[in-house]
Amino acid sequence: MSTRAEFMGRLRAELAKTSGLFPAAVSERPAAPAALADTIRRELSERWPATLERFRSEFERVGGVLYRVPAHADVAAVVARIARERDARRLISWHPALLGFDVAPSLRAANIDVTAMPRSADAEDDPRLRDVVAAADLGLTGVDLAVAETGTLVLVSGGGRPRSTSLLPAYHVAVFDRSVLVESLAQVGVFLEAWHGDGHPPADGGAINFITGPSRTADIELTLTRGVHGPREVHAIFVEAAPGG
Amino acid sequence: MTAAGAGSRSPRVSLLITCLGDMFYPEVGVGIVRLLRRLGVSVDFPKGQTCCGLPLFNSGYRAEAAAVATRTVRLFRDAESVVVPSGSCAWMVKHEYPGLMPDAALRDEATALAGRTHELSQFLVHVLGRTEFESAVKGRITYHDSCHLLRGLHEAETPRAILRALKGVEFVELAGADECCGFGGSFSVRLPEVSTSILDRKLASVEATGARCVVACDAGCLMQMSGGLSRRGSSVRALHLAELLGDAAT
Amino acid sequence: MSEPDAVLATPFRQRAERALHDDFLQQALTIATTKFIDLRRQAFREFPEGDALRDRARAIKEATLQRLDRYVDQLVDNVERLGGHVHFAASADEARDIVVEIGRRAGARMAVKSKSMATEEMHLNAALAAAGITPVETDLGEYIIQLAGERPSHIIAPAIHKTKGQVAELFERELGRAVPADPEALTRVARAELRDKFLQADMGITGANFAVADTGTIVLVTNEGNGRMVTSLPRLHVAVMGVEKVIPSMTDLMVFLAILAKSATGQKLSSYTTLVRGPRGAGESEGPQEFHLVLLDNGRVRQIAGPLREALSCLRCGACLNVCPVYRQIGGHAYGYTYPGPIGILLTAMLNGPASVKDLAHASSLCGACADACPVRIDIPRMLVELRTEVDEQRIAPWSERVVFKTFAALLGRPALFRLAAPVSRVLQRPFADGRRIRRLPFFFGRWTATRDLPAVAPRTFSERWIELEDGR
Repeated sequence: MSTRAEFMGRLRAELAKTSGLFPAAVSERPAAPAALADTIRRELSERWPATLERFRSEFERVGGVLYRVPAHADVAAVVARIARERDARRLISWHPALLGFDVAPSLRAANIDVTAMPRSADAEDDPRLRDVVAAADLGLTGVDLAVAETGTLVLVSGGGRPRSTSLLPAYHVAVFDRSVLVESLAQVGVFLEAWHGDGHPPADGGAINFITGPSRTADIELTLTRGVHGPREVHAIFVEAAPGG
Repeated sequence: MTAAGAGSRSPRVSLLITCLGDMFYPEVGVGIVRLLRRLGVSVDFPKGQTCCGLPLFNSGYRAEAAAVATRTVRLFRDAESVVVPSGSCAWMVKHEYPGLMPDAALRDEATALAGRTHELSQFLVHVLGRTEFESAVKGRITYHDSCHLLRGLHEAETPRAILRALKGVEFVELAGADECCGFGGSFSVRLPEVSTSILDRKLASVEATGARCVVACDAGCLMQMSGGLSRRGSSVRALHLAELLGDAAT
Repeated sequence: MSEPDAVLATPFRQRAERALHDDFLQQALTIATTKFIDLRRQAFREFPEGDALRDRARAIKEATLQRLDRYVDQLVDNVERLGGHVHFAASADEARDIVVEIGRRAGARMAVKSKSMATEEMHLNAALAAAGITPVETDLGEYIIQLAGERPSHIIAPAIHKTKGQVAELFERELGRAVPADPEALTRVARAELRDKFLQADMGITGANFAVADTGTIVLVTNEGNGRMVTSLPRLHVAVMGVEKVIPSMTDLMVFLAILAKSATGQKLSSYTTLVRGPRGAGESEGPQEFHLVLLDNGRVRQIAGPLREALSCLRCGACLNVCPVYRQIGGHAYGYTYPGPIGILLTAMLNGPASVKDLAHASSLCGACADACPVRIDIPRMLVELRTEVDEQRIAPWSERVVFKTFAALLGRPALFRLAAPVSRVLQRPFADGRRIRRLPFFFGRWTATRDLPAVAPRTFSERWIELEDGR
């Protein structure tokens, strides 16, 4: 096993032998990404309906199903319907404080088991929790960025919003509003720079997942199958009410 | 820009016949000479030509290829324009010769030579400005893009422009026209089974068009395709572009 | 240096021939490669910025390589700052030992793996098993070939050579479950089998498509979700990555994400792009408690100043395989090494030295379709020719071949001798010529005439006829 010094020494020795194939530069990065991200947000807030329409088109293209509801209070009914249509009875969700609404009362009334993920890490690897997560059919999350160019949902992990909620259950339901809509991967890049740089990430977990449609494979005779390891369906519920309103 | 009118000197072309063209398809060369003369171009043939060196180069015999290239650069040093009836040889001269030269002076010469060397269809269309010719064949024809002309010289249009304008000919696109025919020079005999299976795929596409002939601008591709067509007793012919141009006939 | 396969005992030409006679393989290859080509073309047709982004991507790779030490230092510092551990492996053997040791020290009994060509390079699975750590491949294609005891035959679709019937038989034999030969049903079985493994595994092993130096993030591009499982559920995550995969920033990352999936499968993005940094965050109750990054040299660093430098930009998308006329006919196994196809020949030379590709360097018609398809515009044909030169210069090529080429070269420099070639050939060909066609030739030349006719040398060459044409000037 080489030490860092040995490895880097070898690397530097080879680098010294050549100036490269042609003059080239890495990407120019935004000087103040957090400010730029805010500007992007402001500009996009003016044209969110067009961005949403583009998102819908791309999201459906990759097999997602989009719903629109007037307010957070209407989310539970859509989730209940999705569950009923699929005979799904066990739901896990991000902590309600992070979602900004709580579906548990309505869903329990509809005979759906709801388990909210605990906010803090005190529930140290609770094996019962893991069993609940593994047995769940539905996973309810928020969304940190919804990317119109590709129909992608970006989710950051953290306390109360674990990775497994959007991964283990067969059906993933994500709730978002206009404030997380962005147009392009390039804009996502600005947000990532800001989150890791002079801004604040939505959460401080170790994983950021870009989810573009359901889990899929074509490894057997190139036949497309969904729901290999991850969810076989992705649903997104857009809440039309302006955030904070 | 057309051939010279009265009072100005006619353009002069030096022909680089290529080794395969010289030994196996001389009638194509003869046709090209006649064609160019009909178009008001005077043609000469620098003696002592052998080969552009591509077979040596591609097999990794770089030093030997460089020697052949240097010789060729010197042979064509007085040429006004050089016309090559093969995409791969034209590519060799234009793309690789400068880098093979042993010194700066020869490198400059080779670069200059590259600038005035043209594959035949490119010369006809871009230099002489001609796309319309009498057709020596009738019926349905199709076209195979040879790799060096398509990807080396970035040329897909000039042969098609000419073929589409031929009267009495129905031009159809070949499915997978841009796919290799399997020749690849020494590849064809180093891995003959693979080369042949690639060829079979190409010929199946050709036959699917219902064309009476498949046209190409490279002697290597033509040897490979006609070799396969002939072996299977097909009536489909593989012809060089020049063979379709009536102006090239006697 | 990785160990040669038993497969390599058979000469390449024979391996290729065997593949040509495998009817199902031929069918599978045609369908799969054609589909991938169409998907990629469609994706870029709808993406006019694509060409400019490919140029950008190529430039970023080159610029990064020029200061690779700085970016690696940055990456290492960031990974360690976040509580991860970085290990340095000069060779595949070292890397293998490092990973096994990490697992042993953590008391791991089972490791789930997400697809990683780097771990294939070092034959990691055998070493893990020998150390008492059961390796489980979780990428469906890799899972299938693991059960079958085979190597992958395509960089992104490893089980492309298997029929659904073969997979069903395999599952029955190895899992003791009778499953209909239907991709949906087979996938469901794999999902159920592997779900248990994800939840029980002590160790997760992945590769990495990229590592972002500025943030200490490693990036996994997958479709199935196993990459996410492997990096979220087990308590230990080990990522193995070639050192050339480092990129400077998140801004750079977006350029590559925009073109990678499009080149590989025609998707705008794969189903999951996962950015993981170190062990779990402070507030998280899920995610690995230990994170290790193993940086791998294994012949890569030597190419920074070497002839195969450009090949270090490879994104492992597989686009070159799909368009290669040779790959499309013989498939991945015939190549005999971890990485098949056009880029595979270069990577094999990089990892195993030029002698390992004395035949493979010629497994190409130099058609250039690979360079055309490559999202980072690697000039593969140029490097194949250079490898051929190296094989010749190092006298690895058979002496009989060298004699022929050198004689040919000598002839080309002596026009008087060259002029004799035609009359001599005309005499020699007489027994074999049938009009202007030759159907059969002896010795080496029989390789052509076994399957194709040859034109006879013309009764008069162009040079011989020029005398009559000269005056027409």
